[in-house]
Amino acid sequence: MSDLPVAPRTSLFRKYFLALFAAVVAPLLIAGGSEAWFGYHDQRARLNDLLDAEARLAAVKIQDFIEGLHDQLSWTVQLPWTENTGDRRRLDALRLLRQAPAVRSLSLIDASGKERLFVSRIGLNRIEGGDDHSTNPAVIGARSDRIWFGPVTFQDGSEPFMTIAVAGNRTAVGVAVAEINLKFIWEVILGIRVGRTGEAFVLDRPGRLVAHPDISLVLRADEAAQRPLQALRAAILARPTGQAAIGQDITDKTVLAAMAQIPGVDWSVIVKQPVAEAFGPIYAALLRTGVLLIAGAVLAAALAYWLTQRMIGPIRVLEDGVARIGAGQFDHRISLATSDEFERLATRFNEMASELSVSQERSERISRLKRFLAPQVAELIDRTGDDHVLDGRRVEVVVVFCDLRGFTAFSAQAEPEAIIGVLREYYDALERVVTTHGATLINFFGDGVMVLLNAPVSCSDPALRAVNMAIDMQRSVQKFLVSWRALHPRLGFGVGLAMGPATVGRIGSEGRLNYTAIGNVVNLASRLCSSAEDSEILIDRIAAKAIGSSASLVELDARVLKGFDQPVPVFAVVSAPTP
Amino acid sequence: MRFMPRTVAPAADRVRRREFIALAGGAASAAAWMAPARAQALPVIGYLGSESPERYASRLSAFREGLAETGYAEGRNVAIEFRWAEGQYSRLPALAVELANRQVTVIVAPGGAEVALAAKSATTTIPIVFEMGGNPIALGVVSSLSRPGGNLTGVSSLSVEVSRKRLEFMHEVRPDTKKFAVAVNPTSPTSNSQLKNLHAAADALGLELVVLKNSDEQEFGAMFTAVREMQAGGLVFSSDPYFAYRSQQLAALAVRYAVPAMTQSRDFPLAGGLMSYGGDFGQSHRHTGIYAGRVLKGEKPSDLPVQRVTKVELFINLKAAGNLGISFPPSLLGIADRVIE
Repeated sequence: MSDLPVAPRTSLFRKYFLALFAAVVAPLLIAGGSEAWFGYHDQRARLNDLLDAEARLAAVKIQDFIEGLHDQLSWTVQLPWTENTGDRRRLDALRLLRQAPAVRSLSLIDASGKERLFVSRIGLNRIEGGDDHSTNPAVIGARSDRIWFGPVTFQDGSEPFMTIAVAGNRTAVGVAVAEINLKFIWEVILGIRVGRTGEAFVLDRPGRLVAHPDISLVLRADEAAQRPLQALRAAILARPTGQAAIGQDITDKTVLAAMAQIPGVDWSVIVKQPVAEAFGPIYAALLRTGVLLIAGAVLAAALAYWLTQRMIGPIRVLEDGVARIGAGQFDHRISLATSDEFERLATRFNEMASELSVSQERSERISRLKRFLAPQVAELIDRTGDDHVLDGRRVEVVVVFCDLRGFTAFSAQAEPEAIIGVLREYYDALERVVTTHGATLINFFGDGVMVLLNAPVSCSDPALRAVNMAIDMQRSVQKFLVSWRALHPRLGFGVGLAMGPATVGRIGSEGRLNYTAIGNVVNLASRLCSSAEDSEILIDRIAAKAIGSSASLVELDARVLKGFDQPVPVFAVVSAPTP
Repeated sequence: MRFMPRTVAPAADRVRRREFIALAGGAASAAAWMAPARAQALPVIGYLGSESPERYASRLSAFREGLAETGYAEGRNVAIEFRWAEGQYSRLPALAVELANRQVTVIVAPGGAEVALAAKSATTTIPIVFEMGGNPIALGVVSSLSRPGGNLTGVSSLSVEVSRKRLEFMHEVRPDTKKFAVAVNPTSPTSNSQLKNLHAAADALGLELVVLKNSDEQEFGAMFTAVREMQAGGLVFSSDPYFAYRSQQLAALAVRYAVPAMTQSRDFPLAGGLMSYGGDFGQSHRHTGIYAGRVLKGEKPSDLPVQRVTKVELFINLKAAGNLGISFPPSLLGIADRVIE
């Protein structure tokens, strides 16, 4: 089967794969895509809320830190200054330093703006220092607003400090001015965690870093390094309120950040979470979808391959079988036991093959029959497919013999081309006549011809039909004889016919099968032909009787014929004048 | 694999198997190479100490605490090479050079400006993390706190700055006395600035100051005798590591000579001395450990600002006060970080 057309296996595989791919992967894609899309939006909204809440919570924590300091300082400005309260005030101030570690130093200013007390962790304490602070912006600010926050300063260019001034509810109680070490916010900011690795930081109004979990960033006080954080704040401010923004932090990591403002000090508390972490669930979902897609594609491919394999085997067997049958091997049978449509198809092919073989046998047989049967008969048998008429039986037949007179002498003298030419014209003429009369041409032997009527197909009035045929034979051969006599003057044509029972049927060996008749009547017809003169048609008694008066016959003298003990009565057809 | 023509598949199989074996083999040999390499590449901290391990014990444990905070533990993922000057500060530069020649990953120079300066003079490439009580800029260790530059960074406490506060506290304890003695180590790079500070404070408080210079533990006894003889209200020690690391000795002498004295280190009152006011060395040494860890992780010292430990602690020993016949004013008792009874 090497001459098979190019194997279409890939194409079948591709069809199955595409179909299964569409069935498996398309829903996955749609589901995964929508999950990612909606997941992203949900997550974004949730992160907005979360970060906003975290930012506000962080702001509250830092505000608590400042409020705590405010509360502590408020204690020192509740009672008015009198001459003998100095020592008690000093104790209060020292205790405040003990309570509030972020306060590095504290000055108490009386109503007239004079410094009455100064306590410090580092420097020497002063009692009744008396310096005039009435023009100190801290004192002025606190007097008008009850509380005043100074700008953030970086001592020695490193440590962040801020001054807070608090005034009492009336002028007489004076003002407390405290120097606050903002490094202590570090503990607050360190406690703020957003998600797993997110963190918070604080920028003052001009954008300087006040607090960050990595305190060294604050202490470095490097404005250039802090620029990304300022840009992040600008990005958040550019968004609608309460919306988180995406930006870069100091380490160039992409973060999602939200902000809350601390009133009073006017600081921004910004919380940030790495985008990779914030959108982690979405990435996980996308990864899941991707894995499912790949698994789906692999499954589709495996299924397609398996199905194709299931199809290819039977199709191959069918293809092979059809090719064999097509090549004429009708006895080939396709054996498939898949108990499905393929098996049914194989059964159909097998049936077709056996029918083909039957019909081929028949057509072979018929083509053989056509050699000796009249075309009408052959066609009849062909049409009905019934060749039982050719079976051997005993039947009343009319046998007609005819041959050329003087042919042996002619053939001895004439050129072979002339002999063949004469015989071809002779046979053609006779065959035409035989066919016209529906008779069966049994055999040509040399110049002799045997024709049978009423077998294998019976006909009405076979004797008369035979006589009419013999007359036609004479007529057409005599026409040729006119020219043939130029070749040999003694050429002539005689016919003999006899009627009687004979055994008819297919007789012969396997290879050479012929239809013929056997019986006395054949002998008789042959003898009558031999004894007939040129242009003469001799008929036996039975035939003549059967013809009756339908043709004009004359009884001749009984003749002694070879093989017959008694003289045989012989009749001759009176030839009508040639038209 | 199944889609390949059948004759090709086994060959491809074979090739892949060979590749896999090569890969696996490569990984195995790489692992075999890496294991000893990592053991060899254990980073080394060169630890330069001015005294002996015994005197540094509490500082060392704070330092190790800080290292652990950054994920380092001695012997596990970091080795520590120690060099001890045993109180002979003149040996520090030579020891620092030794560490530098040893090509350690980072030099830790805790315990004062002398150690930091010794380390600084030994190398300009190996990162140095120092710990000291004074102002690193004034002492010429770094040029800026926020951006130290070069290969140095570290931690400073406020001990040196608050020596005048010690005089103030001592005056509060002995308000009736105007004469106080001050112990100064003349070899200390901070001695001059501290003396200036102390004199200014004495002027502000209206006190008379007697300066006792001492840089040798053998002379400690003589110093206490002198204080007793001059009838001073008390002895205030300036901030100096040499004094700080000998707190036990000083406390014993203070008890023996019945002299009210005050130093920077909490070890002094804990050992029986009257009181102390100074930076929290536990914090400063812990931060030194954290910075050493961060440098081990690859951060550049120039990116790490010098940290100042802002916490200043006041320790009071009431038992010592009782023995000396001293009663503490409530203002001091109230603000003390710890009162030993």
